[in-house]
Amino acid sequence: MNGVWLFLMIFGCVVALFNGNVDAMMSAVLDGAHDAVQLVISLAGMFCLWVGIEKLAEEAGLIEGLAKLSKPLLNFLFPYVRGHEKAMGAISASIISNVLGLSSQTPLGLRAMTEIKAIYGEREEGIQSMITLVVVNAAGFCMFPSSIIAMRAALGSKDPAVVAGPTAVAGLVATVAGLLAHRFFSNTGRPR
Amino acid sequence: MVFLAKIGVYAFPVVLLVVPMYAWFKGVRVYETFVKGAEEGFQIVLSILPYLVAIFVAISCLRGSGGLDLLSRALGVVLKPLGIPPDILPLLITRPISGSGALAVTGDLLKTYGPDSPMGLLASILQGATDTTFYVVTLYFGSVGVRKTRHALAACLIGDFFGFLTGFLIWRRLVF
Repeated sequence: MNGVWLFLMIFGCVVALFNGNVDAMMSAVLDGAHDAVQLVISLAGMFCLWVGIEKLAEEAGLIEGLAKLSKPLLNFLFPYVRGHEKAMGAISASIISNVLGLSSQTPLGLRAMTEIKAIYGEREEGIQSMITLVVVNAAGFCMFPSSIIAMRAALGSKDPAVVAGPTAVAGLVATVAGLLAHRFFSNTGRPR
Repeated sequence: MVFLAKIGVYAFPVVLLVVPMYAWFKGVRVYETFVKGAEEGFQIVLSILPYLVAIFVAISCLRGSGGLDLLSRALGVVLKPLGIPPDILPLLITRPISGSGALAVTGDLLKTYGPDSPMGLLASILQGATDTTFYVVTLYFGSVGVRKTRHALAACLIGDFFGFLTGFLIWRRLVF
């Protein structure tokens, strides 16, 4: 992340100097900082709502049930989290939100990260499990890509949902490829 | 298929209805518990702000300077032999780094070519194929204060690449 961040900044600045549009770059950068704060404010309510609901589900034992249900798959994907019901349930809830395309995917994903950290801190097993969760959720395997379907419908498509099948397959391939890459990098032990 | 898309819409109210009712049935003090969770949610949001500012600033720097266009032109040269239409390239670059940016590019393509045109279909498929990688990596690791993301970004981008490739191949099957 260090290298990428530095590259984005330096490359951007160099291009701006060459193109002579430093002004445009400067205002874009300030807008970016502003947008980040704006996004956090707009996310705050949704985060409160979903983490609140998740707490209810947890106290009622629903999260534990979810952990039991998803055990076969999650034990395989998250070997280090095996047996930690709370974290397993949180991971399961976040992945289900993702697959359904619910707005709860980010809040619950971050909650799951917190649960993993609660077990391992920043130890090896924790980081490995965190990367797995990030890879799965960034690949965004989604059965109901609601935003793109809504957009297609709004623009007068005759069959807005026709893309749901292809996006699901592509998302699944992205997930598997990402996980394989994660496995590969972990084994080669690239220092970073 | 439209029915499938509807499930995503109805899952939301169903969860909001079932979870609190079930919790109440189980004897949970629902209001207090919800507020406790909401407080936790608010803490999470606050903790991601610095990370979000860092990534947004870097991406805006790249976009505002015209570096993004430069990259997409460079990618065009590389991808030309594969038969990928050049108009889709900005979407390929934007998709992993900016969610709102990608949605805007897709909206543009759908309006220009029509949502059911070959280009419209390709844009829709690629838009839905993956999530915003940079945003997810930044947020997820930021929320737990882990700065060493190691190979997370690389693994995700490899995933994105294969996701796009699959989407493209399916589209070719569908259209030609």
